Amino acid sequence: MRWIWIDKFTEFEPGKRAVSIKNVTLAEEHLHDHFPGFPIMPTSLMIEAMAQTGGILVGYERKFKEKVILAKINKATFHDIVRPGDQLTLEVVIDNIADEAASITGTIKCGENTIADIKMMFSHIDNNIAGMEFPEENFVFNDQFMGLLRFYLPEGTMDNFS
Amino acid sequence: MAMTREEIAEKVQEILVDALGVDDDEVTEEATLMGDLGAESIDFLEIVFNLEKAFDIKVPREELFPAELASNEEFVADGKLTDAGIDKLKSAMPHLDLGDFESDPDVNKMSDLFTVASIINFVEGKVN
Amino acid sequence: MKFVLIDKITELNLGSSLKAVKSVSLAEEYLADHFPDFPVLPGVLMIEALTQAAAMLVHATNDFSHSMVTLAEVKNAKYKSFVKPGNTLKISIEAKNIDSETSSFKAEGTCDGKSMVEARLQLRHFNLADKDSSLADIDQKLKTELKKRFQLMQI
Repeated sequence: MRWIWIDKFTEFEPGKRAVSIKNVTLAEEHLHDHFPGFPIMPTSLMIEAMAQTGGILVGYERKFKEKVILAKINKATFHDIVRPGDQLTLEVVIDNIADEAASITGTIKCGENTIADIKMMFSHIDNNIAGMEFPEENFVFNDQFMGLLRFYLPEGTMDNFS
Repeated sequence: MAMTREEIAEKVQEILVDALGVDDDEVTEEATLMGDLGAESIDFLEIVFNLEKAFDIKVPREELFPAELASNEEFVADGKLTDAGIDKLKSAMPHLDLGDFESDPDVNKMSDLFTVASIINFVEGKVN
Repeated sequence: MKFVLIDKITELNLGSSLKAVKSVSLAEEYLADHFPDFPVLPGVLMIEALTQAAAMLVHATNDFSHSMVTLAEVKNAKYKSFVKPGNTLKISIEAKNIDSETSSFKAEGTCDGKSMVEARLQLRHFNLADKDSSLADIDQKLKTELKKRFQLMQI
C-alpha cells in the first residue's frame, strides 16, 4: 500500500482554502480487509486524506520549506460510511497559520452527503521541537513528493515557485 | 470594548475545555494548565490561536510560553531562576501570581504558575 | 496491505480495559512513502490501532452482538513523538462506558514508557441488517471473522 490519500486538487486558494478529491476503489487492497465481505473506507484514512489536503495548503504558504507534521486532531466526527465507487470531496480552510503551527477546519462530502467534520493542527517542527529527534532535510516535502505535486495542483499554482 | 472579568473567564473556560478536552468543572481558576489540565506545547499554540480570535488581541509567544524563559541560560542557574530571570518573568508576565515562587524559584515548579487565573489576568490586561 | 493495526492483545478486562501491542517493521510498505528518508508510523494509523483495540474490547464485552464497531468521533488526539521501525507501540484502552450501541474510551500509546499518542474515542456499534435485512448473512460472516481474529490475537 502506498501512502497517498488524495487523487488531485480541484481548487487551491493559497493561504485560504483548497478542495481535493479522493476516489474510493475496490483496487485498494486494504478495503478487502476492512471489512471482509463489507468493504468501507477506514475513518483513519479519511483523517489522513484531510491531513494531506490541509498539510499541502499549509506547506505551500512557506514554499514547502517547513516540515509540516500532524500534531493534533482536535476533533473528527464521522456521520456516514464510505464505500467503493464513492468519490469524496475534501474541503479545507486555514484557520490560523503562525511560525510554529497551523490549524485547519475541514469537511468531507460524498455528493451532498456530509461524511465527516474534522479540525486539526499541524506543527512546523523546526520551530516547535519539544524534544523530538528527526533528520535535518525536509523528509515531509521530499523530492518524490515535489515530483507528484505538479500533477496534483491546478495548472499555474506552482508558477511563482523557483 | 471593555469586558468584565466574568465575561472573560467564561470565554477562557470555553477555550480551555475545547483545547484540552477537559470538563467544565475541572477548569477552576486555581487549576494549573500543565499539571492539572495536561496542556502541552501544541495545546498552548491552539489556546493562543483561539484567544487571539475570541478577544481580537495579539499574544506574543514569550508572554504566554514558559518554556522560552526556562531554556535561556541567562535566566537559569542550577535549575533555579536567577534574579535576572525573576525580573524578566515579572516584566514579561505581569499577569502571573508568583506567590511563594520567589523564595524557591525552581524551574520545574515554574509550570505551576501558569493557572487558569493567570490566563484570565493576561486577557484582562490586554482587553481593558 | 492487510488492515490489521494490532498484533496482540496482552490484557483484557471485559467492560473496562484492554492492552495490546503494535510492532512497527520496515517490511510495512507504506513506510516507504511515509517518509522515504524517515520512515515512521503515520499518526492516523496510531489512531487506527487505538480504534481497533477499543473495538475488540467492545466485541468481547458485548459478546460479538454487532458486526460493525466503527469510529464515530475522535477528540483531542495528540502526538508526542515518532514511532520508528523496530519500536513496539503499547496500547492502553480504558472504557468510560460501553453501552449496547455506543461506547467511549480514553486511549494511549507508549514506546519504552514514553507517551507517543493519546486520544479520546467514541465508537458506534451496529449490524448491517439494522438498515437492510438482506445483509444479515454478511453480519454473520463478519462476526465469524471477528471471533477468529480475536482468538488469533490472544495466542
